Amino acid sequence: MSDNTEGPHYTESSAGLMEYSAESAMPFGPVHPSLKEPEYFKLILEGERIVQVMPRIGYVHRGIERAAQDRTWVKNVYLVERICGICSFSHSLAYTQGVENLTPFEIPKRGKYLRTVVHELERIHSHLLWLGLIGHWAGFDTLFMWIWKDREHSLDLLEAITGNRVNKSYSTIGGVRKDLPDGMAEKLKTEAGFIEKRLDYYEGLMSSEETFTIRTRGMGRINQEVTRRLSTVGPLLRCTGISRDIRVEDPYAAYDEVIPEVMTSNDGDIASLVTIRLDEARDSCRMIKEAVDKMPSGDFKVNIPRAIPAGESMFHVEAPRGELFYYVKSAGGSTPERVKIRTSTMANILTGVEMLKGHTLADVPVVLTGMDPCFGCMDRVAVLEVDKGKEWSIGGEALRRYGIDYYSKRRGNK
Amino acid sequence: MSVESMQAIGVETGGTVTTSKKAIVLNVSREKVPEACAKVAAMPGFYHLSTITALDLGEQIAVMYHFWKGKTFAVVKTLVPKSDARIPSITPAVPAAVFYEAEVKDLMGVFFDGNPYMKGRFVLPDEYPTDAPAPLRKEADPAKIRKMLKLE
Repeated sequence: MSDNTEGPHYTESSAGLMEYSAESAMPFGPVHPSLKEPEYFKLILEGERIVQVMPRIGYVHRGIERAAQDRTWVKNVYLVERICGICSFSHSLAYTQGVENLTPFEIPKRGKYLRTVVHELERIHSHLLWLGLIGHWAGFDTLFMWIWKDREHSLDLLEAITGNRVNKSYSTIGGVRKDLPDGMAEKLKTEAGFIEKRLDYYEGLMSSEETFTIRTRGMGRINQEVTRRLSTVGPLLRCTGISRDIRVEDPYAAYDEVIPEVMTSNDGDIASLVTIRLDEARDSCRMIKEAVDKMPSGDFKVNIPRAIPAGESMFHVEAPRGELFYYVKSAGGSTPERVKIRTSTMANILTGVEMLKGHTLADVPVVLTGMDPCFGCMDRVAVLEVDKGKEWSIGGEALRRYGIDYYSKRRGNK
Repeated sequence: MSVESMQAIGVETGGTVTTSKKAIVLNVSREKVPEACAKVAAMPGFYHLSTITALDLGEQIAVMYHFWKGKTFAVVKTLVPKSDARIPSITPAVPAAVFYEAEVKDLMGVFFDGNPYMKGRFVLPDEYPTDAPAPLRKEADPAKIRKMLKLE
C-alpha cells in the first residue's frame, strides 16, 4: 500500500476487491464511475505484475428474472434457455425440474434418460468449445479449428435429437418434448466413440506440446483456501482437489443410474483444468453410451396442468461450468411469482480475479479463459499501471498477439 | 446436514427451524444473520453458498441465504421491512457473498452494511433512474420506468 497521497492508492476488503482512486485520496468505489469505455476487467499493474483486478458485469443484463414473472410457466422454458448459448439446456433443465418439484408428478424414466443424454452432449460441446478456445488464446489456431470441427459431431447429434444446435427447447415441464428419432440410439454410440478417440488424441497433444504447456502449467494457480472462501463451482473447484459434483452428490435426471466419475486434480492450474475438462468430456461419451444401453422404453413425458401449485422450490444442476442454481416460487397461478437464477460464471468471477493476480499481461488471455467465463470478457481490457500512473486499454486480438509474441521471444525467437 | 445441527444454531441465534422436501430453513432476525451464516458455513464438510435470493412480500422483503451440501439446502432466512431494507453484510465471514448481496441491492433495493459494492451500480445499467423503485419490487412498473427514461 502506497503512502503517497498524490499518486494512486488502494485499500483491500475481505473478498480481495478494492476501492481505488487514480486521481486523489477519495475512494470512488470498485465498480464503474470513471470508466470511459465498457471494459469487463480493469487490471491494475505494479511493474509487470497484476496486483488487483476490478471486474465489471451487467453488460448483458436483460431483466430475465423480471420478464419471467410476466410469462407462463411453459413460455419461461423458452426464455431461460436463451440466457446462455453454451449451457442453454442446463438452464431449461434446472428450471423445468424446479417447477416439477412443485407438483406431485413423477417424470417417466425414459424422459429422465433422454434428458441425461442431451445434458451430457451439451457438456461435450461446451468442453470442446473451451479446449479450442484455450488453444486459440495460446496461439494454436490449428488446434482450435480441429477441436471445433470435432465439436460439430456433438452439435449435429443435438440437432438431430432436439431440432436445434443451440436453443434446443428440448426439456419441457413434465419431461422432454420428443423421443429419439429412428436409428439415433446406434448413431449416438458410434459418434460418442469417435469423440472419445479424438479426445485421446488431443490429450496426448495438449500434454506434450511444449509451446502449449509452457502457457498452461503453473498458470492461474489457486488452492482450496481460495475455492472454499469464494464458494467456487465446477471444474475450477475440482482442480483444487475438492471432489464435488452435483450429479453425484444430489443426483437428478438419470444420474442415480448412470453415474458420472468426478474428475479432480491437485494442481490448481490451467493445465489441470485442461485435463479435467478433457476427462469430463470423455466420461460424458462413456455415459451417453451407457444411457443408450440402459434406456427404458415407455413414455417420455407426463402432462402437467398449466397452473402450478403454490410453493417454493430450489433446484441446481451441474452445468458444464459448474453449479447452476434456480429458485422458483409459485403463488398457484399460471405465471411464476419469482424466478431467481444464479449462473455458474457469476459464482466464479471472484475466483477468476484470484487466478489473475501475480501474472503478467501476456498470461491474461489464457488465465482468464481458464475460468471459462460465459461473456465476451476479452473484448476490451483496461489496464492501469500504478507506478507509472498510466491508464490504457487493449482489445482482445491485440492482447492475444501480445501473449503469443511474449512467449515466442522467451523461447529465443526474435 | 441434520435438522439437529440447524436447530442448535437456531438456539444460539434465537431463530426457528422449518423443514421442507429439500431444504432446512432457519428463520432469524436480521441482526443475527451474519452470525447464523458464519455458523452454517462453518459446519463440518464444505457448506457452499449457492446464492442469496430476495422476495418481495408486499410490506416486507424476505432475504434467503442458500447454503448447500449433499442433498439438502440449508437456508438462512430473514425478513426486513421495505421501508427500512438494511441487513448487516455477511462478507466478513463468507466472502463469496459479495456479488450476491450486490445483486440483491441493485434488483431489490436491500442495503447490506459492510459490503464494499454498495456504491454505484452492479448489474443494473447506469441509466436506470435513481428515483425509480428497484426493478424486482412489486411497485416497479416497467411502463413508468420507460417514461422516466424518455423511451416513449
